[in-house]
Order: sequence, then structure tokens, then C-alpha cells
Amino acid sequence: MHHFDDIYPFSAIVGQDLMKKALLLNAINPRIGGVLIKGEKGTAKSTAARALAHLLPDKEVVDGCTFGCDPADPKGLCPECRDRNLPFPIKITSMRVVELPISATEDKVVGSLDIEHALKMGERKFEPGVLAKAHRNILYVDEVNLLNDHIVDVLLDAAAMGVNIIEREGVSYAHPSAFILIGTMNPEEGDLRPQLLDRFGLCVDIVGIDDADTRVEVVRRRKSYEDAPEAFIHSWQSEEEDLRERIRRAKELLPRVVVSYDMLTMIAQICLDMAVDGHRADIVMLRTASTIAAFHGRTDVTEEDVREAAELVLSHRMHRQPFSEQQMDKEKMEQSIQKSQQEKKQPEQEQQNPENQQPKENTMPDGSTTTMFAEGDPFKVNQKPLAIPRRIDSFRRDGSGRRSVTESRDGKYVRSRIPETIGPDIALDATIRAAAPHQKDRDGTLAVKIESSDLREKVRERKMGNTVLFVVDASGSMGAQQRMTAVKGAILSLLIDAYQKRDRVGLVVFRGKNAEILLPPTSSVELARKCMQQLPVGGKTPLAHGLSKALEVIKREKMINRHTIPRLILISDGKANVSLGSGSPFDDAKEIAAAIHDAGISSFVIDSEKGFIAFGLAQTLSLEMGAKYLKLEDLQADQIAEVVKGISA
Amino acid sequence: MHHFNDIYPVSAIVGQEQMKKALILNAINPRIGGVLIKGEKGTAKSTAARALARLLPDREVVEGCIFGCDPQDKKGLCLDCQKKAPDLKTKMAPMRVVELPISATEDKVVGSLDIEHALKKGEKKFEPGILAQAHRNILYVDEVNLLNDHIVDVLLDAAAMGMNFIEREGVSYVHPAAFILIGTMNPEEGELRPQLLDRFGLCVDIEGIHDAETRVDVIRRRQKYEDTPEEFIRSYEPQEQELRDRIVRAQALLPQVAVSDDMLKMIAQICIDMAVDGHRADITMMKTAATIAAYHGRNAVIDEDIREAAALVLSHRMRRRPFSEQKMDTGKMEQSILKTQGQKAGIAAAQQHTHTHTHRH
Repeated sequence: MHHFDDIYPFSAIVGQDLMKKALLLNAINPRIGGVLIKGEKGTAKSTAARALAHLLPDKEVVDGCTFGCDPADPKGLCPECRDRNLPFPIKITSMRVVELPISATEDKVVGSLDIEHALKMGERKFEPGVLAKAHRNILYVDEVNLLNDHIVDVLLDAAAMGVNIIEREGVSYAHPSAFILIGTMNPEEGDLRPQLLDRFGLCVDIVGIDDADTRVEVVRRRKSYEDAPEAFIHSWQSEEEDLRERIRRAKELLPRVVVSYDMLTMIAQICLDMAVDGHRADIVMLRTASTIAAFHGRTDVTEEDVREAAELVLSHRMHRQPFSEQQMDKEKMEQSIQKSQQEKKQPEQEQQNPENQQPKENTMPDGSTTTMFAEGDPFKVNQKPLAIPRRIDSFRRDGSGRRSVTESRDGKYVRSRIPETIGPDIALDATIRAAAPHQKDRDGTLAVKIESSDLREKVRERKMGNTVLFVVDASGSMGAQQRMTAVKGAILSLLIDAYQKRDRVGLVVFRGKNAEILLPPTSSVELARKCMQQLPVGGKTPLAHGLSKALEVIKREKMINRHTIPRLILISDGKANVSLGSGSPFDDAKEIAAAIHDAGISSFVIDSEKGFIAFGLAQTLSLEMGAKYLKLEDLQADQIAEVVKGISA
Repeated sequence: MHHFNDIYPVSAIVGQEQMKKALILNAINPRIGGVLIKGEKGTAKSTAARALARLLPDREVVEGCIFGCDPQDKKGLCLDCQKKAPDLKTKMAPMRVVELPISATEDKVVGSLDIEHALKKGEKKFEPGILAQAHRNILYVDEVNLLNDHIVDVLLDAAAMGMNFIEREGVSYVHPAAFILIGTMNPEEGELRPQLLDRFGLCVDIEGIHDAETRVDVIRRRQKYEDTPEEFIRSYEPQEQELRDRIVRAQALLPQVAVSDDMLKMIAQICIDMAVDGHRADITMMKTAATIAAYHGRNAVIDEDIREAAALVLSHRMRRRPFSEQKMDTGKMEQSILKTQGQKAGIAAAQQHTHTHTHRH
């Protein structure tokens, strides 16, 4: 990790105890597998993650090994260490925090051909990337939800088994890469992919501090740190030392911590009742509870440890319900704790009936009644690919329409070609291969003599396609007409059709007081079905909220996947009755509609007003958005998907 | 395959019987054509796929051949072996699991010019890629749905022909590349292209275990494995050895397994009723049912084998409907089975005997 300034001491961070605890537990027991820190801006997320570097314990490494192999783990050695003579030269170093910048390219993450070595010596050598540096260290990703999709793919691949396998750019190599993932994110900027989310052992949600006195303390400390960083750090030295000592003691104690069968059953019961996917949660919860016990200087795990661990382990593994936070239901957890305690005394007799499929009536906190509708019938979607604008200079889409070769430097390097003009994105491996057979006939001082005719450039490719975002009015009027059923049907039909084309489909729903991303843009039918199973309908119409949320989603989507072509489909009667601020609700909506127009997003408005259009609000809105306009009544339910296909034709 | 930690034993995986069975069947009979393991996060998908490496049996290869050519298969020999034939030295070597990472580039997958050789000798020489290593072995792709489309195209090309044609960077080459594809995926991360899906012989859908006590077992075993990996693996060695022996026995039995005409009809009827595309399902189901019979030490395929095979073969070949998971309708399958049994009863009454054929699997 590079520091161009002094690190703020960990113990000087005011409050945020849960976050600090989660980080400390990882320092004690790296097997917990990292932590995801979710929170609003300016809540010391990054400060804490960076400050952890100072508290990390020492470890033994093989001296001179690029990967910092563990001399005590003969199976986990890198290829070089395997060939090394015993005994290994041993060095003690502290764990490090290795930062993965959002802008990192794939070759820098995975590793690639060592260019200098290739040119000077005419030999190929592997140049380690971020995943190599991260082995036995902490891999820290700031704003992890903004990480490029293909970088996430690579991270997932390595994290699955703690191995990084390189088969690219002329190099074949494999090295161990077992890292602790620490990430921070601001949930307002979008969610993480489920598989990546699961790779974080723990998750904490943090908020700013509400207490005035404490806030003053935050500012005061920050100021004295900035005025005289060295003096400030010095003044916290004894606290830091205490903490380091406590970590050291806990680490020593950890192997002796025992977990009783009752506690194991409790862990299993909690995970079962909270309906988490798979078994990773159970295993992480056990490790976390043991580490908590060690942190408190105990060798036995108590109920309280399990409770505390559950909170850290489960919050990001729960299935999210629409219009509610992804949160752990503490009451439910208490019930399963009691259940597992009773089970000790008497055999279990529960086994609930599967819930029925009828629409369920619920009373929401705002007093309105909501109804859940099932998804609509499947529609036939014809095989024509989504139409795309005829000419967009930055990309080219091939016949099958399922991917595109990008002209910019992001995307995966898949192969090389002879460039038309020599640009910056040279494929060195291919260039050397092209030059290699001619070396005998050329003069020069370098090992490899390259002429311009040898140059090859990288052809990069990325998964891409259209992003179709539905913005759906879920206020009372929509429920009455069962429109939602048709919309859900359209989304699933589009996805099933889109899965060969890498198109992504998302859903923003607005009702009551706000809007919500019900389905972040995805290409997974599975995820879509899960997310849309329950969708409450009813309440007021916060149209402006819906549109602004949609704009936000599209902007983020463009950030992660620059070449996607966004489409927005608004389904509403336009009768906005909740304003963003103090203005009129409809004017607010019009203003954001204009912003959508300015952003160059092609859009479509489907008017859900029934019968004679008395207000024409949705039509007015469609003019502001530069959108195509259609009446929902004129559409058969199964035509929504067709209409979306024709949107930009 | 690269391992930087101990391999968790297959027999120590709690539950997930269908997944384990599908993997074992492929170890017995590579012609089944691989398996796709679909499932939610944290369900031992990758663990199981990697653990398979320890159960794979030996097979005969040409000594010194980089592609591990089959000396019995004269037509399938690589260019070098064709030159040397028929003077081929052979040896026994175990099947391997060759891993294809998501970040692989095309040159390393199909193979390309050997840079060092070219620099030093000024000659063009082909350097084999992953497809070469995968010949007669298992090609394993973790998170297969995240694989780049371009690499998928290359895989599909090779899988369709069983050959890899290289025409790049001034190198022309062709070599056999018949591999078994094993992949894992979490469907929440996106779908798999249908052509690639069809290349997997079998498919299993797995989920976590919904029983508290069994879950405790999962946690405990994992904990033991992590605390003392070597001891843990040793404690499962008897079970692992038993499984290996069983695989070898099944392999020896397999050529003798007979599939009666009635059973073949049942397979065909099920595939018709389930409306699968093409005939690959029928063929794979026949091979799978025969392998299941061999696994159980029988030399005849029975109803139950077909039922089991159908579940493994059909789930990913059903036409997908938007609101249902891609799954097999067991009720419908039972009807097909009854239908063919009804026919059989009628025919049996008419003519007193049935023919039995031995098929090559």
C-alpha cells in the first residue's frame, strides 16, 4: 500500500464500534474472510480500512519470495519456492493492505508477460499482478461496487479456491492467491453482484453519528490530526500498542477456543431459519464466534458470541424484500436461538407449510394497503435481436449481436491483430511472436529486435448489450388493473430472450413515498425471478423519485459498462402526487424527464391511464423525455416485450 | 491442475449425492460427456469438481506424446504419433483435470507460436495450449457462465469436431482435442449459452441442506479439515480408496452392460415426451443408464437406472419457460415410463421372448 501521508490511528476513530470490531476480528483470524463496509459518504470507511494496516500481526514468509509464501505450509508454496532448497530463508513481515484501484486493468490484476525481461533477455517471464501481492495479505477495494465486471469475474475466479491461474499473453503460470477481501461501498451507488457479496466474510452497515457532542469530537480529532499528524499519531501510540497486544493475545488463544455441540446447532438453526444460500454463512459464523470469544479472552463460545457473529455474518446474505432494507430480522434470529435451545430438551415438531400463492394483503407502515401479484404468463418473444442505432462509432457489434469488440482499452484482451494505425494498446506477446522468427537476420542491441511491421494490437472484448430499464408505477391504480403482472411477464420474457445476447434488464418501481431499484440490471433470469417474487402495489405516486432513481441506475450502469446502450421504459399514468422537494410533483417529474432527454437516453412512455385520456400527463412527460408514446390499453399484455424490442427501430 | 492446498475428499462432502454421483459416473465413463453443476453460493460446487481429480482412473496413453494419444484409436492420433505409428510405446497414466481460468486469452487456449523457440532458433514451432492438454482429460471451468464469449466459441468449435485447428501467427497445426467438460456456475450471475449448455452431458442443480443436524456436520467437517488437513484426509482415505476401487470395477464391467430393446424404447419415449431438441439426450441417457448399472455392479440396465439417468440428462435440455425453473417434470416422466411398460406387457403377451443387445458405450 502506498502512503503519501501519515495513517490516521485506528484507535482514534470515534464510534463506529461494529465496523472496528469487524476489522479487528479479521486481523485476529484472517480465515473469517474479510469485511464489506457499507455506508454513506464520509463515515470513516476508508480511513478505518487503511488504518487497519498498522494493527496487522506479523507473519513468517519465505525471504525473497514474490508471493510471500508460508514456509510452514509445504502444499501452499509457489512454483519457485517448491524448487528452493530447504531450509527456507525466513523473514518476519507484517501483513499488508494491498489496494485494488477501480481503474485497474485485467493484466495488472492477474499478472502478465514481463515486458522488460522479454525484450532484454528474449525470455518470457511472469510479471505478478495485484492478486500475487495480495496473497496472505488484505486486498482492499474502495468503492467495490464500481469495480468493472470483468475484474470482478477474475476476483471471483481466484477467490473460489485461493489460486490465480494465468493463461494469457503467452504466459502460463499459477500461484497461490489467498487474500482477505476488504471493501467499502456507498449503497446509493448500486449493489454488488451476489456472488461477490458472498465472498465477504462479514458485512457492516454504518451511518454517521447523530450525537452532537460526539460529532464535535470527530471534527476536533480530525483537525488536530491534520494540523500536526506526527504529534497526533504519537499521542495515540499507547492505545494502538494496547490494541495490537490484544490482537496478539487473541490470536494465541484462538486455537484453544472450543465450540460446543449446542452452539454449533444454534449456528446451523439460525442459518436455516434465515434462509441463507449454501453453507458458507454457517462456516463463517463459527469462525467469527470463535474469534469473538478469543477477543474477549475466553476459550468457550457463548450464546452472546453467536448472536454477535450472526449479525456480522448474515446481514448481507439475507434475501432482500422489496421496499425494505436488506437487513437481518433480529426477532426471527432470537426465535431460532430459542428453538435450538428447546431442541436440546425436546425433539422438534415444527415443519411449516409452504406459503400459499394467493395475493397477500399487507398493511404498510404508511397506512396504505398493498397487494402482491404473481408474475404474468410467459410471452412469446420473437427471435429478432433488439434493434440498435445504426452507427455508433465507439463499438462494432457482430452478427449474432451478443457481444461487441470495443475500441477502447477496457474490456478483456482476447486476441491480437495487425493494427491499421499504431496505437497505444500494443499486444506485446503477439508482437514478440511476430518478430521472433526474423531475429537472426536483424541487427540491434536488444535481445528482441522489433520492427514496425511486427506490431500487433490487442483486440478487446466485453460482455455488453442493451440495458433495458423498466420504471414502473406501483401506486394504487396500477394494482387495480393487474398491470404489474404484465410488466413482470415482459421483464422475464425479455431476459429469457436476452440471455444469449448479454442484454441486461432492470426494474425500478415507485410507490408510496419513494422509488426503489427492485431489480438491478441483470442478465440472470434466476435473480430476476427471485427479486420479483413479491412486489407490493399501492399508495401514492412519487413519479419524480422513480425517474431520478432510473437516471441514477443508468448513469451507474454506464460507469461500470461504458458501452452499454441504455433504454428506459416508463409505465405510468403520469399523475404524480409526491414531489421531490417543495415544488409541484408534476413539475419535478418534468424536470427529470428533461434531464433524461439531455443524457441521450432513448426512452418510451407507456401511458396506463384508462379510457379517454383526460389529463394527458404521461404524454406531456413523453415530450419532455423525447420518448415514444403509447397507450397501455392499446397493447395486449404480451405486446409489452415486443414494443420494447422496437423501441429504437 | 494447480493446487496450493489439500484437496478435500469427495467422500467427506456431506449430502449432495446427485452431484457426487454425476462426477463419479464421468470418471467411470468419460463418454457421458461431463457435467454442469449449478447451484447457489457456498454449496461445495468447486470443492467437489476439484476433488474429482483424486478419483480418476488410469488409461493407456502413447508415451512421450504431449496430447496423450490413445494408442488403440489409430484415426485419432496426433500428427507426431501418426508418423511414428505403428511403433508406439505405451504407458498407463491417470486422467487429469485441466483448468481453464476465466481470464485466459485465446493464444493460450488454442495454442500459438512458441516464442522462445522462435527467438533462439529462428524457427516456427507450435506451442500447445489448454485444448491440447485437455485432450482425453477433463477440462474444468469454474464459474463457467462468466467465461468470455470468444473463448466459448473456441471451446464449442473444438468440442464439435473433437479437433483443434490452429491457423495463426504463421503457424498451421491441427491436433485432437476431445475433452470432458466440467463446469460450475451460480445462475444468479447470468445464464449459459444454450449451445454450451448442450455440450455438458449431465447437469445437477444443488442447494444447501435444510436440516439443522446435517448442517452441523457440514460445519464440523470443514472445521476439522481446516485445523488438521492431512489428518482429516487420512481419516477419509479408506472411503476414498473404496470409491476408487468401485470406479475401477465399474469400468471393467461397463462393456458387458446390456441395454435391452425395452429399455432403449423407454429412453426414446421419455425423450419424445419431454420434447428435447435433437438426439444427444437419448444417446447420453443410454450411456448414463449403462454406467449407473455398472456402478451398481449389474450388467443389465433396469427402470431405476433410466429414471436416475433421465434426471441427470434432461434437466438442462428442457425448453425453458419463463416462470418455471428449468427443471424436469418427474410426473410426466413417470407417465412415459408407464407407457413403455404398458407396450412391453402387450408385446410380451404376443411374443414370448425379447431380444437383448449389447451396445458399445
